[in-house]
Amino acid sequence: MQFNSSDSGSSLQSEINITPLVDVVLVLLIIFMVVVPLLMEGYDVDIPRASADTSAPVAESQLILGIGATACPILTPPAGEGIPKDCQVTLADQKIPVAELPGRVATILRGRPAEQRALFLAVDDRLNYEAVLRIIDLAKSGVEDLKIEFVAAN
Amino acid sequence: MRLGEPARMQAAINITPLVDVVLVLLIIFMVMAPQMRKGPDVNLPNTTKPNAQGDERGRILVSIDEAGGLWINDQSVAAEHFDEALRAAVGAETNPKIVIRGDAKLNFREVREVMVAIEQTGFRGVGLIAKRTGTEGK
Repeated sequence: MQFNSSDSGSSLQSEINITPLVDVVLVLLIIFMVVVPLLMEGYDVDIPRASADTSAPVAESQLILGIGATACPILTPPAGEGIPKDCQVTLADQKIPVAELPGRVATILRGRPAEQRALFLAVDDRLNYEAVLRIIDLAKSGVEDLKIEFVAAN
Repeated sequence: MRLGEPARMQAAINITPLVDVVLVLLIIFMVMAPQMRKGPDVNLPNTTKPNAQGDERGRILVSIDEAGGLWINDQSVAAEHFDEALRAAVGAETNPKIVIRGDAKLNFREVREVMVAIEQTGFRGVGLIAKRTGTEGK
């Protein structure tokens, strides 16, 4: 087979037909654009049972994380990423800096069966909602399948 | 022109530009559609690793806007009618998935009150919707 130095007069169309390719790519683009904004991300939590008997004794094994507005004064949305360093939380009656939270939660819950890996949150009403979600996020980064349950703040 | 004889002129309309224009229009409308949504403008909290909560359709969206106003599926709802409106939104569904879209500026109290209201209507377990840091998300 011999290659012509000039294209003139060539009866064969040597270019790839890109029209079907473009059509397929556009349709894929459309599919992704429809689906992506509808997908949501967040945290599954259990709701405090206001109607339940609150006088029931707290089980020994319950791991309670207390977030108070004096030890962790985040009352407006925290800037940037993460949680301000001056935030202290109470985990199982021990006051710890919030940065130690994932490690401590992982140490305490590692040996437990999966269904008992739960963290009970007692959150001060005055705290900022975004800060609360970021602390939940931090706690979950220690234990992948952590269950979050809210309890009434005291 | 007889059948079987190769045609010299191409008689078919070239529909490729037409298809392109239609597809671009479709894309424009699909980009605009979510912004024309009537629901509240909720500035979701930013977190690093939220878990997937699935598709918006098939969930009951409870939104709390910056001012603390309540919305169920893009409908503004007064706090005193919240439980009726939630029951109406759930309808006959046996295992509804309820998610809370709360504004980042809210106090925890406002979110907790909504969670308690959802619990009193008879549902446990909600998803708290966040958006991954650095993504667009609404």
